[in-house]
Formats: sequence, C-alpha cells, structure tokens
Amino acid sequence: MADEANHKNEEVSREHFVQDMAKAAVAVGVLGLALSDFPEKLKAATPAGDPSLDPQDNLSWEGWNQVQLQKRDGWQDWDRINDPGNLRRFHDNFGQITKLKPKHHYVMVMDLRKCTGCQTCTVSCKAENNIPVGVFRTWVDTYQTGGMRPDPQGSVVTDNGNYAPDVHMVSVPKMCNHCDNPPCVEVCPVKATYKREDGPVLVDPELCIGCGTCVNACPYGARYLNPVSHVADKCNLCVERIDVGLLPACVTSCVGRARIFGDLNDPSSEVSQLLGSSANSVLHPEFGTEPQVFYIGMSGEILSSDDPTVQHMVFTYTENSNSTVGVK
Amino acid sequence: MNVPVMGLEHVYWGLPIVIYPYISGLVAGSFIVGSLSKVFGQKIFEPIAKLSLLVTLAFLLVAPLAPLSDARQPSRLLELYTRAHLPYSPLGLFTMIWTTYVLLVLVEVYFAFRQDNIRLGQVVPGWRGALYRFFALGSHDLSERAQRRDHALLVFLASAGILLAFAFHGYIGFVFGAIKARPLWSNPLMPVLFIVSAIVSGVALMILVYSVVWRYLSPERRTDPRIIEGLVSLLMWTIFIDLFLDAVDLLNSGVSAYASGPVFQGFSQIFMGGPLTFMYWGLQLGFLVLALALTFFRFVRRSALWASLAALLTVISVYAMRYNTVIGGQLQPKVSQGLILYTPPAFGRASVQVVIGLFAIVLFIFSLLVEFLPWEPLDSLLSSGAPTRGVESGASTPVKG
Repeated sequence: MADEANHKNEEVSREHFVQDMAKAAVAVGVLGLALSDFPEKLKAATPAGDPSLDPQDNLSWEGWNQVQLQKRDGWQDWDRINDPGNLRRFHDNFGQITKLKPKHHYVMVMDLRKCTGCQTCTVSCKAENNIPVGVFRTWVDTYQTGGMRPDPQGSVVTDNGNYAPDVHMVSVPKMCNHCDNPPCVEVCPVKATYKREDGPVLVDPELCIGCGTCVNACPYGARYLNPVSHVADKCNLCVERIDVGLLPACVTSCVGRARIFGDLNDPSSEVSQLLGSSANSVLHPEFGTEPQVFYIGMSGEILSSDDPTVQHMVFTYTENSNSTVGVK
Repeated sequence: MNVPVMGLEHVYWGLPIVIYPYISGLVAGSFIVGSLSKVFGQKIFEPIAKLSLLVTLAFLLVAPLAPLSDARQPSRLLELYTRAHLPYSPLGLFTMIWTTYVLLVLVEVYFAFRQDNIRLGQVVPGWRGALYRFFALGSHDLSERAQRRDHALLVFLASAGILLAFAFHGYIGFVFGAIKARPLWSNPLMPVLFIVSAIVSGVALMILVYSVVWRYLSPERRTDPRIIEGLVSLLMWTIFIDLFLDAVDLLNSGVSAYASGPVFQGFSQIFMGGPLTFMYWGLQLGFLVLALALTFFRFVRRSALWASLAALLTVISVYAMRYNTVIGGQLQPKVSQGLILYTPPAFGRASVQVVIGLFAIVLFIFSLLVEFLPWEPLDSLLSSGAPTRGVESGASTPVKG
C-alpha cells in the first residue's frame, strides 16, 4: 500500500513537473518571440524597407532556397564544378605555376575603346551565377577625368580668362583580376580559396569559414561575403562554362565586344594578338599582384590612383549605400 | 536590417573583430604582469601572480570566440586545424599560437596552484576538498625538491609564455598589417603598436581586477598600496611608450609630407574631421594622456580608487585604439570614393549584443576560476579564520612539506 501511494505520489509529482516544464517552455518561447526581432520584421514589411529585396530575409530569391538540388543533380559538387580536369591547385608559392608550364593560361582583355558602359556584362553575370541583391562579381565603373583647360578660344568666359572643357568619360569594366600573385589566396586560413594552374582564382564554398580575410585582402574589392550562402564569393571566370569550351557569360553578352577572353599560352589566340599589338595596362600595377585582366586604352589617371581630385567617379556599383558619397 | 546595405564595399569585419585584439591584448598584458615576479624579479607582485594567471586564462579561452562569432560559417572551425594554411595565413598561424598558448597557460596554472591545492586538499573536508585534490591531479609531493622544481618550471613557463604573449598579440597586429589592400592597416608598426597597447591594457586591467578582488573577495578585504603603486608606475612607463608609438604612427599617417597618398587620404578623412575624429583624438589619445597625467600624482598612485579611475581611462583608450584600427581601416573604400559609414548594430550578428555576450563568458569563466582555485596567498587565507574556501575556522594547520 505504502509503496503504491509512493508510486502514485511520484507519478503525480512527475506529471506536475512535466506540466511546469511545459509552462516554462511556453513562457520562454513567448519571451523569446517578444525579445526577438519578430515584431521588427513585421514592421519591416512596409514599402520603404521591402524585405523581398533583402536576400537575407527572402531566401526564395532566385532559387537560393532550392536545397533539394544536390550533388546527384550536378549542383553542389564543387570539386567537379570548379575543377573538372583535376588541375593542380595552388594556395601559395604562385611562382611555381609558370615553372610547371601549364597547358593554358586564361586571361581577360578589356578593350576600353569599345566599352559603352551599358552594364550588360553586370546583368548577364548576375543571371548566369545567381548573384544576390546588392553584390556583384563584375561591374562597370564610370569615371570623368580631366577638367577645364585655359583656352583663349574657350567658350567658358570667366574673370580669369577663357576656358574650354577637356573632360572624358571612361567606362571601366571591373572584376576579379585572377592575379598571378593573389594576396587573397595566401591569407586564407583554411585553404578554401586557390588558384588553378590554368589561371582562375576560385573559392570552394564548402570549405570557406566566412572569416572575411580574403575580402579585406583583395585590393580590387572584387570579393564579397555572399549574403545568402554565407561564404566568400567572387568572379570564377565562369569555370563551368570555360571548362566545356564556352566563353564566360559577360564576354558572350558584351555588346561592343569590349571583353575578350582567351588563352595567353596560345600565340594565335585573340588575346595574345591584341596584347601583342596594343599598349595595355593592368589595375594598380604597383601592388605587385600581377593582375591577369588587361586593359587597352586605359586612362593613366584611373590606373593606380583612387583620388577624387584627379578622377570623378560618376557611377559605381561598389560604393556602399551607407557612405558619405550619398550625402554629397 | 530593414533596408539592405547595397554595394560591394562593406565593413566586413565588425565589432567582434574589434574585441578580438582587445581581449587578446588583455591576455598578453595580464600574463606579462603575472610574470613580473618570476621572470623580472619584481617580488612585490608575487601576491597577484596567480590572480593574473586566472585573468589570462579566462580571457584566453574566449579570445578565439570573437573572430569565430564574426565568421559566417563558424561551424567549420575544425578546418582551422585540419586544413591549416601554414605558415602563409596570419589567421592560420594565429590558431596554432593560440593553441600552444592555451596549453602553456593550463600547465602553468597547474604548477602555480599545485602546492596550495595539495595543502587545501589535506585540510578541507567535503566536495571542495575533493575538488582541490582533483586539481592537484593526484600529486602529493610537497618536498623541498618538488618546490624547487615547481619554481624552476614556473620561471621557464613564464619566460616562454612572455615570448608566446608577444607572438600571440604581435601576430594579431600582423593579421591587419599583412593586408596591403587597406592602406591604414598595411603598416610595419602594427605588431609593435598592438603589443605595447596590449601591455598597457593588461596592466590597467590588473589594477582594476586587483582593486576589486582584493577589496571584496580576499581574506584581508583591503588592497596593498605598494602593489597599487607598483602597477601604476608600470602603467605610467608603458603609456609613455604607447604614446610615443602613437606619435610615430600619427606622423607617418597624418602628415601629408611624410605619408604615402592613400594613407594620408584615409587618415585625414577618417580621423581629422571624419567619422572617428572623437574616437581618435578624444578617446584613444585624450583618455590615454589623461590617464598618464593622473599617474603622476602621489594620491593616485597610492589609492585603489584613483588608480582604478586611471586604469578605466586606459582600458577605454585601448578599446578605442582597437576600434579605430579595425573599423577605421575599413571605412576607407578600396575601389570607390568617399567614406563608408558604419554604426554597430545593437542586436544580431557582429553586434553590441555579441560583445556583451563575449564579456559575459569571460566574467563567468573568471568567476568560476576565482571561486574554485586558491589565488590568495595561502598563509593569510588560513590565518584569517574566515570561513572562505571551505576552510573551517580552527582547522588544523596545514601539513608543512
């Protein structure tokens, strides 16, 4: 009898305990909801802060939530996508690459004489690679260089004499330079990013810890942390296209044929011919990164200096929307 | 995050990366204070050697959580060991230095507390006694030879630890100094600046911790003015060196004739009339000069309260230095123009909330360590008769080894 009573008591107290726990769990849940940004998210559903534009809030954007697309569908197998031919990968000591005489050396040539700044490459890159809102793998910056020059025949009359406008609009398509000496690759703590022997600098999204060191280390601002996949992301020279013999999406879509892609190891390729016959330069040669994106017809005022007193940036996708430029 | 911030140029390293060198600096600084008596023969600091070791351990265990909380894929942290990019990646080598340092500090904590743990394990009853015996890891040896061996080991560990403290924190300076894409970071002075400000912040932190712990938790319930004076004069000299380095840095980045174009451009836009002007001139330099001025006065050097005030100013100044370095360096755009503006978020990833959480973990670990390890001199503990640490009043005198 006593045993049974005890047993009953125990059971009752256990029931009470479970009930109490359930109550506590509900209370914690309600408290958590109240303290979380749930009410803020409700508030955010106004036209001013449209959450459907925010890739962090709207994972359905452009199919980023299609997690059912797995390796067997040919989607997540990054080893195969990034490097189907099992080429050698380099995380440091990039000087070895030339010594090993790789078969190809892919480069990009930007012929600024032909660039109209239409941003078709920007759009086609976003479409091809599913780039979230707010970040870019390639973009076209538009600069104004030059200024007013003293000219007795000039049309602008001032108290200090006549001036004539001597200004130029320059559109500069920019992307990852796939440097031969990439500082971003060397600083990666987990060897998630690498330079393939035939040129492209790539990121393995399944290894990246998202620490952001490479993003800070790239002097060209060509890397970003993908707001949806939460890893470092950058132009990959459309490896999945070039590995099957296609051109990168931006090259295919360029209306003025300002972007030329090719193999520098092949003397008859268009890039070799162009670089051999025209004066060309790279961005920031003084950094010693040996960029492999070459520019033809580049203004010297844009090449290495980011000085607003020399060049006036008319348009860019790189500028943070929360910056002093917006204020001016 | 109502309106998404668009554009490629972001402050990708947020508040936790400010806290990362800050906490690491406190680690290195407090470790050096703890080693003063062993390595540099400053015997007056012997009573706080153990306490500094506990401060070091508490901050050291939390130091890597800061960059991990800023990383977007922190669950992949084991890759830092399995795929370590050595010796090329600064962060990769940092992981190894941190691991070595944790092991060294754990060994040092064991040997620093071994004798006291054995003695307390002999006189304290109950679970506390069992805990002390556990911390002694089965060692019972209190002989002269064992004590001499302990001392020799501790001197060796402290010396090696000072080297590691320099490597540890200097390397964090190098994490920034190695990034040539950021003109304000790519500076060979960075490791030195970080180490010296680390020592400054560590000494200041030890003044604060000593004042609070000795006043409220020790058996005597009062601070020793000689230790306060020693720490404050140490603080004074390290602040001198730190200010000297700050002046060198200022000359090399704030004067257009001496600095390279991008460095001067960034420095003048950000720190001279820019978004971080007060943070630099007011907090980083102003508070440090104020703290230095305070240390000149005799009443400050002998009073725990005033010394704590000077220490608080110093700790805030060093935090401002970390903020100006980490955030300030990223406000300068790499390819676009103007300045990026940044306000730390209050909640969410890389926010003030995370920072509070990190310090809460430090405080929690430190409280546990202070509660369960005999950091106070054992003789005063046993003679005080206070029922602390499970020592019952009138307990038998400890067995002398």
